[in-house]
Amino acid sequence: MSLYGSLFGRTVSYNGELSRAMTWLGQQERVMFFGQGVGCEGTALSSSLTGVPIDKRIEMPVAEEMQMGMCIGMSLNGYVPVCIIPRWNFMLRAADQLVNHLDRIPLYSSGGYWPKVIIRVAAPSSHPFNPQSQHDADFTEAFRRMFRTTALVRLIDAGMIVSAYQNAFEAKGSTVLVEYAKEYR
Amino acid sequence: MDTGHTVETLKAFEADIVAKFNAGKIKAPVHLGGGNEQTLIDIFDNIKENDWVGGTWRSHLHCLLKGVPPEELKAAILEGRSIALCFPQQRVICSAMVGGIVPVALGLAWAAKRDGKGDKVYCFIGDMAAMSGIVHECTRYARGHDLPLVVIVEDNGKSVATDTKAVWGGNHDINVRRYHYELSYPHVGSGRWVHMQ
Repeated sequence: MSLYGSLFGRTVSYNGELSRAMTWLGQQERVMFFGQGVGCEGTALSSSLTGVPIDKRIEMPVAEEMQMGMCIGMSLNGYVPVCIIPRWNFMLRAADQLVNHLDRIPLYSSGGYWPKVIIRVAAPSSHPFNPQSQHDADFTEAFRRMFRTTALVRLIDAGMIVSAYQNAFEAKGSTVLVEYAKEYR
Repeated sequence: MDTGHTVETLKAFEADIVAKFNAGKIKAPVHLGGGNEQTLIDIFDNIKENDWVGGTWRSHLHCLLKGVPPEELKAAILEGRSIALCFPQQRVICSAMVGGIVPVALGLAWAAKRDGKGDKVYCFIGDMAAMSGIVHECTRYARGHDLPLVVIVEDNGKSVATDTKAVWGGNHDINVRRYHYELSYPHVGSGRWVHMQ
């Protein structure tokens, strides 16, 4: 994993590529962004959204289950929500909607509904600054084992970020993209 | 919307499902409706074709009243899908998670408001779900943002066999204390960038 990656022979930064990916998504019709620190400053992910028009950035209450469920409903009604949960530990609050609805609706509707939600989550760094035991988890593999229809992508290199988000936008179903907080600099 | 269903046609549909279940032809859970047929007919009189309906594990009658053809519904039930029926053409989505359908309905309502076509979302839940935190969050948000979400509590006093009112206790006053203040520091840290090695 590296703070800088290579894309077509040029060096790119992790933060720069996240901003480029979000700006590209923000240019797509019916893409909306939901989360805390989305409509204002507040989290390490906030700075990546400065290229997204403010009317597409919906600041949410701290209500992760509600936020995830809302994103599912919006996607069923024609939108492509980008659901931002800044830590895996916080994702546990949204796990019911993420697993029992987002991931399972394509199955229990026999393919009638395919909600497409693009989920951003960050795996934290632990050194030199340690966020402590309620904020420091990386549950990527645990969630991967629970998913049956949802794709899960680790953004381990800056050079893969833009194409990963573009693929998530083009996919039929939902994608969880795991970012690495130690690269947010 | 008027689908032509009456109390009798609704009862006859469920009676047919009972017969098929008792004959061992449905190898999955079914939660049968009954006792509320006329109330549902009255509610669905106000629901339009383009409106969405969210439901629970007990939604056969709701699907019929939203316009799902009885044979199509019956086929889904025979496939074992009674517990969380979905019919995109009729804009029906259900869930077997208590209260879990409400945030999904909230998102449908958010999109409906933004699209401005006047569509509404009707979400049916049980009395135990109505006591849950997620339903309170969603109804609070919907009211706060004037979203076209109508939540309808179907109150039979029970969740499975549990008495809803008894388990929540008798006093419904919320016992919290609150004070206001202005924070002297940012949410986290000191507000200065600190370099750590």
